[in-house]
Amino acid sequence: MVQPLVEMIDIHKWFGGVHALKGVNFSVGRNEVVGLVGDNGAGKSTLIKILSGYYRPDRGKIIFEGREVQFKSPADARKIGIETVYQDQALCPNLNVAQNIFLGRERIKKLGFLDKSKMFVESARLLEKLGLSFKNLDMPVEFLSGGEKQCVAIARSLYFKSKLVIMDEPTSALSLRESQKVLDFIMKLKESGVSVIVISHNLYHVFPVADRIVVLSKGKKIADLSKEKVDIEEVAKLIISS
Amino acid sequence: MNNVLDNTRKLLRRGSFIGFIVFLIILVSFILLSKGYFIQHTNLKVLITQIAEFSIVSLGVGLLMIAQEFDLSIPGTMLFCSLVFLYLHNSGVTPALIVVIVLIVGLLIGLLNAMLTIKGRIPSFISTLATLLLWTGVTNMFSPPGTKRSIIIKDPLLVGFFVGDVFGVPVQFLWFLFFAVVLGLLLHHHVFGSWVYATGGNKDAARAMGINTDLVKIACFMIVGFLSAFSAIIQVIRAGAFLVGIGSAWNLKAITACVMGGVSLFGGYGDVFGIIIGSITLSIIENGLIMMGVSYLLSWAVYGALLLMFVIAHSHIRRRMKILS
Repeated sequence: MVQPLVEMIDIHKWFGGVHALKGVNFSVGRNEVVGLVGDNGAGKSTLIKILSGYYRPDRGKIIFEGREVQFKSPADARKIGIETVYQDQALCPNLNVAQNIFLGRERIKKLGFLDKSKMFVESARLLEKLGLSFKNLDMPVEFLSGGEKQCVAIARSLYFKSKLVIMDEPTSALSLRESQKVLDFIMKLKESGVSVIVISHNLYHVFPVADRIVVLSKGKKIADLSKEKVDIEEVAKLIISS
Repeated sequence: MNNVLDNTRKLLRRGSFIGFIVFLIILVSFILLSKGYFIQHTNLKVLITQIAEFSIVSLGVGLLMIAQEFDLSIPGTMLFCSLVFLYLHNSGVTPALIVVIVLIVGLLIGLLNAMLTIKGRIPSFISTLATLLLWTGVTNMFSPPGTKRSIIIKDPLLVGFFVGDVFGVPVQFLWFLFFAVVLGLLLHHHVFGSWVYATGGNKDAARAMGINTDLVKIACFMIVGFLSAFSAIIQVIRAGAFLVGIGSAWNLKAITACVMGGVSLFGGYGDVFGIIIGSITLSIIENGLIMMGVSYLLSWAVYGALLLMFVIAHSHIRRRMKILS
């Protein structure tokens, strides 16, 4: 049995008196796309926030590439290769594509001065490699469409060689065409050897890209099935009936 | 054709471009209206001194605005720093030490503003309004009517260093150029500058990517405090007296100047060139108003009207840009 990329074992989380996660076991394999689904309040966001270092589990452990890890902050998670792509929160609208890709990880010369040409060239190269073209790399990203913005955020995680990319509702605010762009991108991530966790309400978006579907309900995992063994209606029924 | 459109759009998006056009219009009209008096040597020298002393402060204010914060306490800071300068000078402290101490006071005042805003979680508009009242009140308390207000600055180094002349150019202006270059490099070519823009553009995204937005804001507040203290030192030495009206309305003027130069009231947008252009333009307008004999109180209305006009103009353009793209 090939060792999974990351294993979350017996994760519990309390918020005050609310038992948000009740002993969840969740793992992601190498090069695997996992769709994490469930109704509102199921605990999906909480689970991935623990995995990305935003929260600490009250009980349970996380094993990444065979070693137990503890995150004190999202920076720790990012350092070992776990990136989270948030909706809307990931980009600075006033900065251009290159500046956003290198946000917080700017390439600098001596004394902290920016190596702008390097960042610009590498961004252009990255976007070309990913088959993305923006009219103008110099424009503030607020002038890009929602789908283009998501792609910039995803391109960022690709550049910094993440091993695991977590996406929280990546297609919620997007049009059909833009959603397809993002989903194509997720497949590109997988082709690059990256594992992806996609949280979504939209089963029709998750199904085409996922290798495995995990269903959470009221803090517990109620299903963990490979996509071939199940279809959308069954999963929907599972979510609604619980 | 498309290229021309793109380039025009790019230019228009730079808020400072409009500020520059306005500057040119104001400059030319004032020169013509004053029948050349405007550029006469005496008026020009006074004007350049005023521009320098004011713009040193507005450079800091603009930087802070890009980080999405405001500092309304500047007049209070300058009053208090003047008082400290006066006190130290009359106590016979060595000039170099006086300058260092007053600058440190400015830094600490900036730090206080930052702490109240960030740790106290109070909007900077409110916290710095409070400190404005605080420092104004403290200064009034320690300098009741009858206090000796004028000082004789004998130290040639002090005079030469801060208010002297270099080949006819006031030293203040050289200081202004120095700070303009330093801040320009910092904001546009240093990683700290990207952090300032990121903090002002989307603080949460910046934090999520590991930027310490609190530290960035603290640094900006302290820079404003430092520059306010510096300008206060210059003005006290030049006047040889404690100026009761030092920095009066400069909190509003600096914000207006920055907005005229394309700095956004909502943070994230602006450049040093724009801040400089806006400050110069506003100073020219003020100079013109004085020449025309316009009442001081009316000038407040003028600043308010300018602020409003530019805010509306900029937001209108940004909305148009969004629709076009």
